[in-house]
Amino acid sequence: MSCTIGIINYGIAGNIHSIKKSILKAGGDVKIINTKNDFSNIDKIVIPGVGSFKDAMNELTKNDLLDNLKKFIKIKPTLGICLGMQILSSIGFEYGKTQGLNFINAEVKPIIVDAKVPHVGFNEIEVINSNKLLKGLEEEEFYFMHSFEVVNYTNIVSLTEYAGHKFVSSIQKDNIYGVQFHPEKSREAGIQLFKNFIEL
Amino acid sequence: MNNKVATRIIAKLDIKPPYVIKPIHFEGLKKMGFSTDFAKKYYEQGADEVMYIDIVASLYQREILKDEIEKTANELFIPFGVGGGVRSIEDFSSLFHIGADKVIINTYAIQENPDIINKAAEIFGSQAVVVNIEAKKWDNWYECYTDCGRIQSKKDVLKWVKEVEQRGAGEILLQSVDYDGRERGFDLELSKKVVDSVKIPVVVSSGAGTLEDIKKLIEYANPSGVAIATLLHYNKFTISDIKKYLKDNDIKVSR
Repeated sequence: MSCTIGIINYGIAGNIHSIKKSILKAGGDVKIINTKNDFSNIDKIVIPGVGSFKDAMNELTKNDLLDNLKKFIKIKPTLGICLGMQILSSIGFEYGKTQGLNFINAEVKPIIVDAKVPHVGFNEIEVINSNKLLKGLEEEEFYFMHSFEVVNYTNIVSLTEYAGHKFVSSIQKDNIYGVQFHPEKSREAGIQLFKNFIEL
Repeated sequence: MNNKVATRIIAKLDIKPPYVIKPIHFEGLKKMGFSTDFAKKYYEQGADEVMYIDIVASLYQREILKDEIEKTANELFIPFGVGGGVRSIEDFSSLFHIGADKVIINTYAIQENPDIINKAAEIFGSQAVVVNIEAKKWDNWYECYTDCGRIQSKKDVLKWVKEVEQRGAGEILLQSVDYDGRERGFDLELSKKVVDSVKIPVVVSSGAGTLEDIKKLIEYANPSGVAIATLLHYNKFTISDIKKYLKDNDIKVSR
């Protein structure tokens, strides 16, 4: 069964290259979504994650992707990565207060911890509610690179501890998945995560 | 005090495209091999990241050579930092599009326009903006150098790192003009001062000659990462040797 994954390209700030590479290695096909008309013939959606919350939402609006993206998230399995997970939330507080895509009842706030921020590096995940995306990956390490965290009280799949502070490292609500870490930067474990996503 | 957060072990490639070269005090270049081969090797050895710095782009004031960077990125499924000759937001953007996860900047920010740090952080997020420091030690202060350790800036390292943090940089790459490539250990005092001056992660480079040098650096200064070049390029140790040695000495590293 072939599976075509649409990667949302929101202008200047997307790092679609490495995600595309990982999906291809995992055995999927990729279609880059540049305009609102590119949503046809895709099975799943990946929202990548480089940039700031405010800029990401601005770019989605500016490129007229917002309405169709919201429409398709409701019906297609969707994976938000890092910032892509964060903008699934209701509100973000990076460079001011910005309205998010509002699929997850959560706020995105700066990490407050007695250690270096951004939190950068490989770290473990503590799975609270196992799901298909993380199947077989419960003991793996993943690469994190972020200064903000999703603060929510529902839809939590895993937590990660950084310098004594636990934050939400993955979420799921129905067909919507989010990971704070970068599977495309997490060696073989990351490729396996994309395989799991393809097989959903 | 040991580290409570895993210290990243990073392979650093100093590049004169398409070659990995080994500079000594940033001078006396020796060609070691192709960047793609080196990147792949260090990825397979378990590096936490790879940094690619075109060390002549700024000096020659030529554009960044993207083909080599893209080819190197294609070998990696770990974070990839790229720098050398970055002068504009368009440079940042095009590097992200060919596979960079972080962009490393020095010369243009310090000699011409520090506002590029603010602008890049706002557009791409702080975590994607790394400021490279090439520190030169004087009697009682450290000066920032640019263009691969050749040009003075008159800026004080400890003031500059605070300034770039305020401007939104997400990470510091700290190199020492005096210690680089000599394999006699790191500048421990400088490293500690810089790590303690800022809240953002500091990756220390320049000077590893033995495994013990790396251990001493982590124990003394607790940097977020250590970037290794010479030790790896000459196959003295692999990334896995380094990680195993550190683990055996109760220093936390990733698997």
